Amino acid sequence: MSKVFINGTDFMNMVLSGANVLHSNVEKINSLNVFPVPDGDTGTNMNMTLTSGIEYIQSKSSDHIGEMAEAFSKGLLMGARGNSGVILSQLFRGFTKAVQERNEINVVQFAAALQQGVDTAYQAVVKPIEGTILTVAKESAKHALFISHQTDQVIELLEEVISEAKQSLARTPDLLPVLKQAGVVDSGGQGLVFIYQGFIEALKGNFHVDNEINHTDSQQITTNKPKPAQSSIATEDITHFYDMEFFIHLSKEVIFDESVLRKKLAEIGDSIVLIPDDDFVKVHVHSNSPGDVLNLTIRYGELTRLHIQNMRDQHREIVEEAGSIQENETFNEIDETSVEPNLEPKTFGMVTVSSGEGISDVFRSIGVDYVLFGGQTMNPSTEDLVKAVESIHAKYVFILPNNSNIILAAQQAKDLIEDKEVIVIPSKTIPQGLSAALALQDMNDSDENEKIMNQAIQDVHSGCVTIAIRDSQMNGISINEGDYLGIQENQIVTASNEIVDTSKELLKQMITPDNEMLTVFTGESVIVQHTDLLIQFVEEFYPDIEIEVIEGGQPIYDYIFSVE
Amino acid sequence: MTIQLVNEYGKIIMTSEVIATLAGSAALDCYGLVGMASRSQLKDGIAELLGRENLSRGVLIRQEGEQNDIHIDLYIIVSYGTKISEVAHNIQNKVKYVLNDLIGLEVHTVNIHVQGVRVSQ
Repeated sequence: MSKVFINGTDFMNMVLSGANVLHSNVEKINSLNVFPVPDGDTGTNMNMTLTSGIEYIQSKSSDHIGEMAEAFSKGLLMGARGNSGVILSQLFRGFTKAVQERNEINVVQFAAALQQGVDTAYQAVVKPIEGTILTVAKESAKHALFISHQTDQVIELLEEVISEAKQSLARTPDLLPVLKQAGVVDSGGQGLVFIYQGFIEALKGNFHVDNEINHTDSQQITTNKPKPAQSSIATEDITHFYDMEFFIHLSKEVIFDESVLRKKLAEIGDSIVLIPDDDFVKVHVHSNSPGDVLNLTIRYGELTRLHIQNMRDQHREIVEEAGSIQENETFNEIDETSVEPNLEPKTFGMVTVSSGEGISDVFRSIGVDYVLFGGQTMNPSTEDLVKAVESIHAKYVFILPNNSNIILAAQQAKDLIEDKEVIVIPSKTIPQGLSAALALQDMNDSDENEKIMNQAIQDVHSGCVTIAIRDSQMNGISINEGDYLGIQENQIVTASNEIVDTSKELLKQMITPDNEMLTVFTGESVIVQHTDLLIQFVEEFYPDIEIEVIEGGQPIYDYIFSVE
Repeated sequence: MTIQLVNEYGKIIMTSEVIATLAGSAALDCYGLVGMASRSQLKDGIAELLGRENLSRGVLIRQEGEQNDIHIDLYIIVSYGTKISEVAHNIQNKVKYVLNDLIGLEVHTVNIHVQGVRVSQ
């Protein structure tokens, strides 16, 4: 019974058992599937993915867990189906990375491997959708790390993992509104819980290939699990309380129009899911008048596999059960929060200086945390910068001064801040600052980011157009007060009394055959016709360049150009 | 290009920008996509701020054929180690579903152009 290490054979039994439990519950998982597309195939997809994983693992026979995990992970990747399948393959890809070199693993290593699986899975997505299998995996892995220091028994650890996974699953409707609306927990998350459940069965020695035993066993799990999520809703709030699901075997004589049926069903129910196939339509609907629903749908053909349930009834049971569960779980929750406060700082933050709402918006949209107002004539003080940095809850904060006059203040701010690492990227122009901000990647470490951001500054060419405030002579160009100056980087390269001419001349100097992109930030006082003339000019003379015009709204500079 | 829907009260006219943004947002919901890429196949630059506001830049909407069918091209970057064909398939599925669900638009084709792979570590 008691187990301290898992080896390759154990692992194989675990995944076989996990796949088995999942297989017995495919329909249950399918019926929960409302996100990302409510096509009721999550269970099927996960099952196919696992089946492929098992094919690969069964072709191997080794006590080396690293080798077995690798085979399984490869199989999952090859057979990945659907979002949940791809996520599953990533979870085990990370898991495999962690155990690759090992013959067997103990609880600490097991928990670490679960965590690495989660890390890998999260890296593969731009916008993790919380309230899905990702969340369930994340929260249970985190709990595993915590528990792994308190026990050396794998079974005990897994029990804790499953209990946390179930709680996490129960919370998914609070994270993903579409789940709440449909009154279900996440289907992929449910699938993961089944897999974990299979793991523990195998370790306890309860794993038989006999489907029936596992089936009843997991059936019981199914009915208990998703419920606490719904206990936050009063029973009476369930307005349409008959949950109906069935198939219409479409009759040849009747023309089936999905939108018509949908509209009619909407009049007498909600949470409608219609999945038409060639000659079948799967119907899911919540309604108070099940008879009307049946009368309405029977016109299209024969109805099969009817399930009608009273959700208020179900709900009453849930609420009662949830009450008793909660008492047991309060201990764990308090314990956990005291160890790991939720306010973990993020890794990277950015502060930048900009003038003009348009430009500031662009900075914010690419993830800059704090945009200070400032520029040529109004520089933020060291204190302003310190305050900005302090307001960001991050381990490392990058300052992008975007002006040579502010770099020094930024350096000083860096020396004044003690509780976080401040890195100044010496950007001298707005385009440089934008390039640097875009280059920041969460997955890199701070040194790497600093290097990349500094490189980004080199790669962009900045230019601007502004008005001369006095007569002068510079670089052999004579300038009169009121002339428009074309400035490339920080050098005046051209001047004339006409804004379009100056801008054209400046662009001619800036653009080289290697460039592919021109971004124009228009100042607050720019006239639209001038901009149009300028764009026409660029389109005509540089047909290969892509142009983007952004209303920067900056004062002083009529145009800021960025050429890449 | 605009899309017109007619009902008993009048017309609803939507620009392709709207559709592009919806399609882009829907794609972002899919696992495995780590970014939208420039559709011009130029190197990404400042103009390619593919944050939420600009994600439609990686999306191209075309109306072609006799039926004026809607074709969508999505230019994406995926994560290394995912099954690219499946990630793409999930996105096609999701985009088609969302457009049908939100604006009743039947999309004819959703083409996925994988413009890059992000390799981390």
